[in-house]
This record gives sequence, structure tokens and C-alpha cells, in this order.
Amino acid sequence: MSSSIAGRDVALVDLVDRLLAGGVVIAGDITLSVADIDLVHVSLRALVSSVPSLEARGAMPRMGDSL
Amino acid sequence: MAPGLIEPIEHDGLVTHVSRVPLAEFGEQPLRENLNDLDWLERVARAHETVLEAALEHGPIVPLRLCTIYEDEAGVRSMLASEDVRLRDALERLDGRLEWGVKLLVSRDALAAAARERSPEVAALEEELAARQGGGAYMVGRRLERCVAEVTERLASELADDVHAQLGDWARDSVLSSPQNRELSGHEGEMLLNGAYLVDADRTHELRALLAELEERHRGLGARLELTGPWPPYNFVTRGAGAHA
Repeated sequence: MSSSIAGRDVALVDLVDRLLAGGVVIAGDITLSVADIDLVHVSLRALVSSVPSLEARGAMPRMGDSL
Repeated sequence: MAPGLIEPIEHDGLVTHVSRVPLAEFGEQPLRENLNDLDWLERVARAHETVLEAALEHGPIVPLRLCTIYEDEAGVRSMLASEDVRLRDALERLDGRLEWGVKLLVSRDALAAAARERSPEVAALEEELAARQGGGAYMVGRRLERCVAEVTERLASELADDVHAQLGDWARDSVLSSPQNRELSGHEGEMLLNGAYLVDADRTHELRALLAELEERHRGLGARLELTGPWPPYNFVTRGAGAHA
């Protein structure tokens, strides 16, 4: 691996871990409180992790059909 | 956010990189909603990361939190003036250093197998189980199961402690994050450690060698170490972020 980042496939989860939890927090003119950011983090987790479970639910009727 | 024009705004030798965004999208209320839209968040997050990575190639940077918004250039300049000491301090500390992410992944099965092989308590219970029949065997079986689970847990935490201690002692600074949810990251096995380490840029090869050595040392436990980076130093912008700041 070279030390260059260009072309690297960065996983969204790694990025979000850092972007929403890290970095210097400086009050801007529009400020989201840390609590807001943490809520986003939680809802993002919920959103992303709901995808496989939706697929699982989609598979349920098919399992029922075969019974 | 379209990959818009990035403009430098300079004040007294410090430069910020900004891009103009519409208030209809980045005002306080729309922002709160948009941050919960995964596609929007991904687009903005990747744009933010792209700019930081490009800037990082030219020298030390201090990443600001995603969506730090100012109404005009004067606001940015006044921020640079009021944060001057803090920003310079961080830039000096981060000069020539890179953030790397290290994840420790194991297979629960390999850990449990190691627990069976290594623990005398487990071995004694297995012997006892082999000698019993009927209800007695059931009870011993339950105790054996519990014992294997406990030893597995202990092995996992000793493993994570060892890896983090070795990396943490060696790196300039370190920060632990919560292990990621498997559904989110799609990793195989169980994540025992999700750490960030600040490393001198010219010692990257030593980091790789240390990771290979740790992986080899814990091969019997099915340990895998995953390296990501180099990252903009998101986790190390604040002095005292970790144990060795």
C-alpha cells in the first residue's frame, strides 16, 4: 500500500466514525450541538443496519410459500 | 454538495479551505434533516474527506467537524483570529504525523477452540464429562459450556489489551473508538478493537511490521489486524485526546 490516499476505497462507516465524532468543534454561525451530531450518528447506524433486516423481512413470505 | 470550488481564506498565516453552500440546504433546520439522509450525508462526507486528503498532501491540517458553517468570509476570519493559538498548537503537534486506523478482528470459533486447548479448567471439565452419563453429564456439559464462554471472553479481552498496549506504547498518541457494528461495516468475525494511532509519517513501514508481528503472535487465536489510512488526523486535533498526548 502506498501512503497516497487517492483512489482508496474508504468505507462510509469508517468515514462517518471520524467525521461525526472527530475534528475540531468550533462554533460556526450555524451550529449543530454535539447532541445533534450524536443523534445523527445513532440514526445513521439505525438506517444502515436496517437494510439487511429489511431484506430478511422480504425473504420471509417466500419461506412461508414453500411450507 | 456538488464538488464546488474550494476557496482559501487566509488570516495571519492560517488558511482555511471553504466552499460556498446554499442556506436552503445547509441552514440549521435543513441541515438537521439532511444529516439524516444517508445519500446526502455520504455525498457531503466524501466531499469533505476529499478536500482534507488533498490538503493533507501539502502539510499539516486541522480537520474541522463536518458542516461547520459561516455566513460570510468575515465570520471565517474572526474564527481564525479567535482560535489562533489552539489551531497553531494543533498544527505544530500534527506536523509530519499521520493518523492510522487499526481494527482487531477475531473469529469467535477460533477463540473458543483456543480456550478449549489452553484452559486447564476446561480440560478438567471435558475429562469429567467423558466419564459421566445421564443427568450428571448434562450438568457437567452446562458447566463446561459456561467455562468455555468465560475463558473465551478472557482471551478476547487479553488479546485486545495486548494489541492496543503494544500499538499505543509505540505510537505518538492513540484513541479508542467503539468497535463497529458488523451490519454497518460488513466485517467478518468479531471486532474487538477499533483504534486510531498517530504515527510519524516516516515510520509507516515500522507500523506495518509491528502489525504483522502482532498478527503472527496471536495467529493461534485467529486474530486479524486491519489497517486503514492514512487519515486526516480527525482523532488527534485536541490536545490530550489520548493517553500519550
